[in-house]
Amino acid sequence: MIAPVLLVARRDYFAYVGSWGFWIGLLTAPVIMAVLLFAPVLLARAEPPRMLTVLAERAIDGQTVRAAFAEQARQEARAIVRAFIAATAPPLEEEALAAFDAAATRAEAVSAARAVVARRAPSALAAFPNALPRYILVAPPADTIAGVKPYLSGERRLEGGGVLYGALNLRRDAAGAPVIEYWSVNLNHSDPSDIAQRAMRLEMQREALAAQGLAPAEADRLQELTPQVAAYDPRPSAGGGEVTLRQRAPFYAALALSFVLWSVVFSVANMLLTGVIEEKSNKILDTLLTSVTPLEMLIGKLLGVAAVSATLFLFWGALGGFLLSTAVTQLGSSIFGQIAAAFLEPRLIAAFLIGFVAGYLMYGSIFLALGSLCDSLQEAQTLLGPVAMVLAIPMLLVTPAIDNPNAPLVEMASWVPLFTPFLLLIRAPTGLAWTEIAGQGALVLVSVFVILLLAACVFRAGVVDQVSLASWRGRKGKG
Amino acid sequence: MDEALAAEGLVKRYGARTAVEDLSFRVPRGSIYGVLGPNGAGKSTTLRMLVGVLRPTAGSITLLGGPVSRQTLRRVGYLPEERGLYRSMSARSAIAYLARLKGTPSRVAYKRADQLLTDHGLGKFRRKKIKTMSKGMAQKVQVLGAIAHEPDFIIFDEPFSGLDPVNQRVLEDTIRAQAAAGRTILFSTHVMEHAERLCDRILLIAQGSKAFEGTVPEALALAPSVAMLETEGDYDLAAVLGPRGFNISFDGEEHGNKRWRAKLENGHGARQLLQACVEVGAPLSLFEPARASLHEAFVALVGDKAAVRAAE
Repeated sequence: MIAPVLLVARRDYFAYVGSWGFWIGLLTAPVIMAVLLFAPVLLARAEPPRMLTVLAERAIDGQTVRAAFAEQARQEARAIVRAFIAATAPPLEEEALAAFDAAATRAEAVSAARAVVARRAPSALAAFPNALPRYILVAPPADTIAGVKPYLSGERRLEGGGVLYGALNLRRDAAGAPVIEYWSVNLNHSDPSDIAQRAMRLEMQREALAAQGLAPAEADRLQELTPQVAAYDPRPSAGGGEVTLRQRAPFYAALALSFVLWSVVFSVANMLLTGVIEEKSNKILDTLLTSVTPLEMLIGKLLGVAAVSATLFLFWGALGGFLLSTAVTQLGSSIFGQIAAAFLEPRLIAAFLIGFVAGYLMYGSIFLALGSLCDSLQEAQTLLGPVAMVLAIPMLLVTPAIDNPNAPLVEMASWVPLFTPFLLLIRAPTGLAWTEIAGQGALVLVSVFVILLLAACVFRAGVVDQVSLASWRGRKGKG
Repeated sequence: MDEALAAEGLVKRYGARTAVEDLSFRVPRGSIYGVLGPNGAGKSTTLRMLVGVLRPTAGSITLLGGPVSRQTLRRVGYLPEERGLYRSMSARSAIAYLARLKGTPSRVAYKRADQLLTDHGLGKFRRKKIKTMSKGMAQKVQVLGAIAHEPDFIIFDEPFSGLDPVNQRVLEDTIRAQAAAGRTILFSTHVMEHAERLCDRILLIAQGSKAFEGTVPEALALAPSVAMLETEGDYDLAAVLGPRGFNISFDGEEHGNKRWRAKLENGHGARQLLQACVEVGAPLSLFEPARASLHEAFVALVGDKAAVRAAE
C-alpha cells in the first residue's frame, strides 16, 4: 500500500508526463537551446552582404575609405577562419593563418587558408566558412547624394536588381576638414560610418603630419603601436600563469547554467500553480481532503513535479552530457572543447542540482500557495506580477556579475535566500570561501523550511477554508 | 444505542460569523440519516467537520467509536457538495484512485471499480475519460468513488443535486442497497421528499442550530394535518365552522365550487370536522384529509422564510 502523499505525487507525475505539453517541452527545449546558441551565427552567415556606395569630393578620401572597408573585410574573414580552425583543427591554425596573411586580397586569403584545410584536414572542409564580407562597395549610381537618395529609399534599384543599403558622402568643410555624411534608411546601424570615421581620422592625422613637414606614413606606423596585455590570477590554485580560456570557461558555463536553472525553476513552479488552480476549479480538493491533509497534498504535489523535473533533467542531462563529452573528446584543446569541459565540472553540476532543489522548493511552495488562493489563471496573474519581478532580480544581476562575480551588490544579493540558488551558481567559479557557502546554504535551508510552513498555512486556508482573492476582495468591499 | 457517529456541542465560527452553533446529534449504526436545512443553514460545514476537513471551533465528534483520525476516516466514504474529478482520468482510474487514497490495495481497487461501474450500468464507459462524460455520469462515478473502498459509514453532501429524476431514483436505490449491506448512511439535502422516502432519522438545521432531531414520523407529528374541502354554491364554510373552533381558510374556486383548507389541530381531527360539516348541513362535494408533509413539518419548525429558502 502506498502512502497518500506518494499517491498524490504519483498521480501528478503521470498526469504531467501523460500530457502532450510535457513531450513537446522535453523534445523542443534542446532544439530551442541549439537555435538560441547558433541562430546569431547562422543568421549572420545567411545574411547577404550589404551594398554601400561612397561619394567623395576628393578622390583620395574615397580611396582611403574604400581601403578601410577592404581591410575590415579581410580582418573579419581572418577572424572567422581562425575561429573555425581553432574549433575544428587547432594544430593547423598557424599554417592556415600564414597562408591567409601571405595572400594579396581577402578572397585569395580565404582560398589559401581553405587549401591548407583541404590538404591537411579534409574531413573539416565541408564546414569551412565562406567568410563573405559584410559590405560590398558599389560604384555610385548617381553623381550627387540627391541622385542616390531614390536608391536608398527603395524607389530605384541598382543595376542587377540590388538594393542600396547606405551611402557615404565624403566632403570637406570651408576649413578643409573632412565631413562624413552617412545616408541610410536603417537608422540604428552605424557601423559603416564608424569604419569611415576611423579611416578619415587616420587620413586627417596623415595630413596633419604632412603639414608639420613629417612623413604622412608615420601616422600608419603610430596607429600600429599597441601594448601587449596579459591577465593573471594571483590565487595559488591558478598556477601563476596567464589567464587562459580554460580558466575563463567556468564563468561562462556558470552563467549559462544559472540561466537554465532560472528558466527551469520558473517553468516547473508554474506547473504547480496551474495544477492547483485546475484542481480548485474542477472542485476535486474537497474529495481528496478526507484522505490527505493539506500539508501532505502540498508535499505530494511538490514531489510529483520534482519527479517531472528529474525526468526532464535525466533526458536533457543524458543528451547534454553525451554532446559535451563528445565535444571534450573530439575538440579537447579548442574553444568548444574547453567550454564543454567547464560544463562537466562536477562542482558546477552539484551547485546546479543543489540550487535547483532549493529554488524549486522555495518558489514551488510559493506558487502552490498562491495557486490555492486563486480561482482562475487570470486571478493568478495579478498575484504573479510581483513574484515574477522578484524572480527577475537575479537575472538583472547577471550583468554586474559578468563584470565582477564578487561585486558588493551581487555578493549582498546572494545572501537573500530567494536569489541564492542562482547567484551562488554564478559566483561558484570564483572560489568562494567555505564559510560563505555554508552560511548561505544554512540560510537557504532555514528559508526553505519557513517558506514550506507558511505555504502550507496559506495552502490550507485556500483549499480548506476556500479563502481566495475573490472572497477577500468581496469581504473588503462589503466591509 | 450502537452509534456510528456522535456529535456533541459542535460549534464552527469564522471570525465574528457563526456557521454552526452548539449542534449535537447521534447517528445509529446501520441507519439512513438525513441532515435537512435551507441553503446556508450550516449543513455542509457540519458535514465537513464530521469528515475532518474542518476543525470545529468547539465540541467533539466520535466517529465509528473513535476520534476523527486517518484511521477512522479510512472507513468513511465522502461525497462533497463541491464535487469534481480529474478530467483526464478514466472512470475506472478515478474510482480506483479514490479507493487507493483510502488504503485499498491497487489491484483490489481496480477490480472493485470495474465491478461497480458494471453494476451501475457504466461498464462500457469504464475507460472513458471523465471530461468526455455527461455531468450526471461523472457524478455517478464520483458516488462510486466514495463507496469503492467499502466504507462502514457513507456521508453524502447534497447527493441528489444535479441529477435528473431517473438518476435520482437510481441513487436512492444505491443508498438503500448500501444500507441493506449494513452500512450507515448520512446525507444532507434540501429536497424533503428524498429524506421522507429514505431516512430512518433526520436532523433539521436552521441558521446553524438544531431545530429538530428524530424519526420522520416524529417530525411529521409536529406539523398540523390538513383537510381539503369543497362546497357547492356560495356556502361560506369558514363563517359557519369558525365559531365552533375550526381553523378554516378559503383556498380558491373551481368549477363554481369553493375550496377550503382546514388545519386539523387542537383536538379537531378529520372525524370531528366531518361530523361538524354534517351537523351544519354543509353542501360538501369533496372531503379529503391529507397527511402533513415533511416540508410542512419543516415550516412549522423553522418558519416560512427558512422553508422558502430551503425549497429554492
